[in-house]
Amino acid sequence: MKTQTERILMVMNILTWVVFIGLAIQAGAILVSYGVSIVNPAASKHLYKEIDLSSLKQFGFWHYTLIVSFMVAMAALKSYVAYLVIKVLSEIKMVNPFTMEIARMLERISYFIFGVWIITLFYDLHIAWLAKQEVGMKENYNSGEFIFLAGVVYVISQIFKKGVEIQSENELTV
Amino acid sequence: MAIIVNVDVMMAKRKMSLNELSEKVGLTLANLSILKTGKAKAIRFSTLEAICKVLDCQPGDILEYTEDK
Repeated sequence: MKTQTERILMVMNILTWVVFIGLAIQAGAILVSYGVSIVNPAASKHLYKEIDLSSLKQFGFWHYTLIVSFMVAMAALKSYVAYLVIKVLSEIKMVNPFTMEIARMLERISYFIFGVWIITLFYDLHIAWLAKQEVGMKENYNSGEFIFLAGVVYVISQIFKKGVEIQSENELTV
Repeated sequence: MAIIVNVDVMMAKRKMSLNELSEKVGLTLANLSILKTGKAKAIRFSTLEAICKVLDCQPGDILEYTEDK
């Protein structure tokens, strides 16, 4: 019989798969629509989810490319984080959940969230600069959430690591 | 590790097998093996007491400190 924790983790595993696929599709869709917009300029008005970057493209092609690159990188990194979470959820065993492998994966997740923060920070700075140039871009700071999240996951991974050490010490106490 | 476990030396001196010690001390063979091979990270006083009682020796006969290189 499955415990409540196991059931919750199973549901979380399914949800993370959905998030992973969604983010991977988002990264791919932005990349493809960017490719189309190079050939057909009108497509820059209707990027992924109707994002209109036509005024930015008119302002400067390299700014447009940079913004799209940031968007793709953010979606790709977030999707990789979701993939790492899937790996954690599928490899964790409820009989013996505290293993060094899981602790390392949690640590890696925090590093990648930190990576997302760096990209989001540059994205925000670029958007802020573009907003001053009156290109029609709105300032929207959202990078702060990622550094906070990275910090929280890092702290959890370190506590988890200590738990693994204590468990191995207990196992080797005779 | 700087602490060396000399259980096997004492066992040889008392001519006692691992199985016999395991039975008399009440420790599993797996745990005794962890102790003997130096993989153990800690030893309970109760375990030490039982081993000393069975092997008729002092804790210092079982445990030895050497400088780490």
